[in-house]
Amino acid sequence: MTFLRLDNIKKNYGDASVIKGVSFAASKGEFVVFVGPSGCGKSTLLRMIAGLEDVSEGQLYIDGKDVTYEEPAKREVSMVFQSYALYPHMNVFENMAFGLRMAKRPEAEIRAQVMEAARILQLEALLERKPRALSGGQRQRVAIGRSIVRHPKLFLFDEPLSNLDAELRSQMRVEIAKLHRSLGATMVYVTHDQVEAMTLADRIVVLRAGLVEQIGSPTELYDKPANTFVAGFIGSPKMNFINAKVSSVSGTGLRLDHPALAGGSLGVDTPAAARVKVGDTVIIGLRPEHLTVGAADPVLSLTLDFAESLGGSTQLYARSEGEPVIALTAGRPELKPGDALKLGIAPRHIYLFDAAGLAL
Amino acid sequence: MSEAMRAAPTKPNRGYGRWTPLWFLAPAVLTLFLIGIYPTIFALVTSFRRYNITRPREGFPFVGFENYVAVLTDSTFWSSLLLTAKFYVTVLPIQVVLGLIVALLLHKPGMGLLKSLARVTLVVPLATTYAVVGLIGRLIFNRDFGVANQFLSFAGFGPVDWLSTPGGAFAAIVIMDVWQWTPFCALIFLAGLSMVPGEIEEAARLETSSKLALLRHVQLPYLLPGLTAVMILRSADVLKLFDMVFVMTRGGPGSATDLISIYIQRVGFRIFDLGTASAQAILLLIITIVISRLYIRLLYREVQ
Repeated sequence: MTFLRLDNIKKNYGDASVIKGVSFAASKGEFVVFVGPSGCGKSTLLRMIAGLEDVSEGQLYIDGKDVTYEEPAKREVSMVFQSYALYPHMNVFENMAFGLRMAKRPEAEIRAQVMEAARILQLEALLERKPRALSGGQRQRVAIGRSIVRHPKLFLFDEPLSNLDAELRSQMRVEIAKLHRSLGATMVYVTHDQVEAMTLADRIVVLRAGLVEQIGSPTELYDKPANTFVAGFIGSPKMNFINAKVSSVSGTGLRLDHPALAGGSLGVDTPAAARVKVGDTVIIGLRPEHLTVGAADPVLSLTLDFAESLGGSTQLYARSEGEPVIALTAGRPELKPGDALKLGIAPRHIYLFDAAGLAL
Repeated sequence: MSEAMRAAPTKPNRGYGRWTPLWFLAPAVLTLFLIGIYPTIFALVTSFRRYNITRPREGFPFVGFENYVAVLTDSTFWSSLLLTAKFYVTVLPIQVVLGLIVALLLHKPGMGLLKSLARVTLVVPLATTYAVVGLIGRLIFNRDFGVANQFLSFAGFGPVDWLSTPGGAFAAIVIMDVWQWTPFCALIFLAGLSMVPGEIEEAARLETSSKLALLRHVQLPYLLPGLTAVMILRSADVLKLFDMVFVMTRGGPGSATDLISIYIQRVGFRIFDLGTASAQAILLLIITIVISRLYIRLLYREVQ
């Protein structure tokens, strides 16, 4: 059942169009992540759902109700901000109680709700403190607590973890995931960090320049990226792209030429072979983690430029015509710069895109 | 290395010596002393003497607290002080409320050009000399050709004799003071409002749709330091308010606008009883300090 629906939402600032028509629906209890590079409009989209930005065009529905022009407070949504946005002059208890007080709930209920949230988030010992006496992670927990006491229809998160250090970030990430599971609430989460997107989301909406590039589950986006943008954005280190020329087409088989390929060319089987003709450019996508060093039948034949050991694994940078090709390999291969690097890959891990970057 | 060689680089420098900083400080300190500290000390000393310059032959004998006793038992002094307090509690709420309304309007998004124009306009009354405000007031509230009566006639009211009736004169100085100081309140509050972090305001907007609750619970804490500053500055300013009222009404009619500073001026420079006037001035200084400390203690709260 559709719980949140965006119907061709647009946002213009004067002549500048920031969101160019986003349509999307989420069902109840789903964890949706908006992800994209900075300036792609993901925060603006979230703020429009919250009602903090006016919608220029299109319709917005929450729980079957058109809330496009509804006031923020009447939408029954709560939001966790990047800067936490706690009220500095109120203590932790009052910060969490504020929304309920404004809704004129009875004092006993306010107390019960706040204590419950404090228990879930382990804030009981901090209730009397002012925000300035809290650490970043504690502040973020108070901000989350403030949003859960109101039992909103929709939780919104605007890059909530970007101000935290790496360790705390992964810890809070797990807490948010647990919270989602225990509350069963619908959540929309904005981030530019694809690790957060991959680990938290039921569904990811990849945005670029105000347009949806692809919507799908994390594994769908990883396995079947719709275009080179999504393919490059999801996964770390990012996917290697090789612009090859089609030298022959036969049935479902393609032969692609590029100097970096072992033997100068590569034969692939694809049902989309009929859509290309000899002389076309086809972009070959290879994920660094799928490349294997010293394979029996290598796909790429390159020269090692640089190796970075990460302890358990090693990142290899190989010289190529355009961007360097990156391979991620387990262990510590005995290689030094200048060595020949033969990289193999399983055929099912080869991604093909047409010259415009769309998946073949 | 010998002692003599080591001492060589520290030979006297003609451009800079240990007293040089003093010469740089001297003009400012001297000026401060001449126009601030010396008169205050003079007033303090004079307040303990009989010091009537129309009777120099009696000399200026030291009389202890006689002047203070005279002032504290002088009913005119108390009624002037009471009138000043009445003036203060009349103008301040009006200025704070109007200033807050102006600040909230200017804080709303949109209409950038008009708002910056309005902000510049706000400085005009502040930059106007009190005496000039008084002169403008005399023109506005003139019985026969003032704009105040012109506006009243549009509304169908007959001419009011502003400056020669007790109520009218008091109202006139209140209006001029509000005109001059509302912009100050507005600017201070506007600064306070812009201190509220945008995300905190937005967080509150998600929790309540009431503008009043937003003002009371989220914006007010950021306005309190400014409000304290306004109250301190205004109370000090009202206690010494002289030029505007003097130009407009000279304290009259009767004693309708006889604020404390006008009364002290009359005692000092009409009756030439400088001893008594000094005692009054010193008492005024003490009152100002006490009031300021009270405000700071009771109202001033840092937000973060």
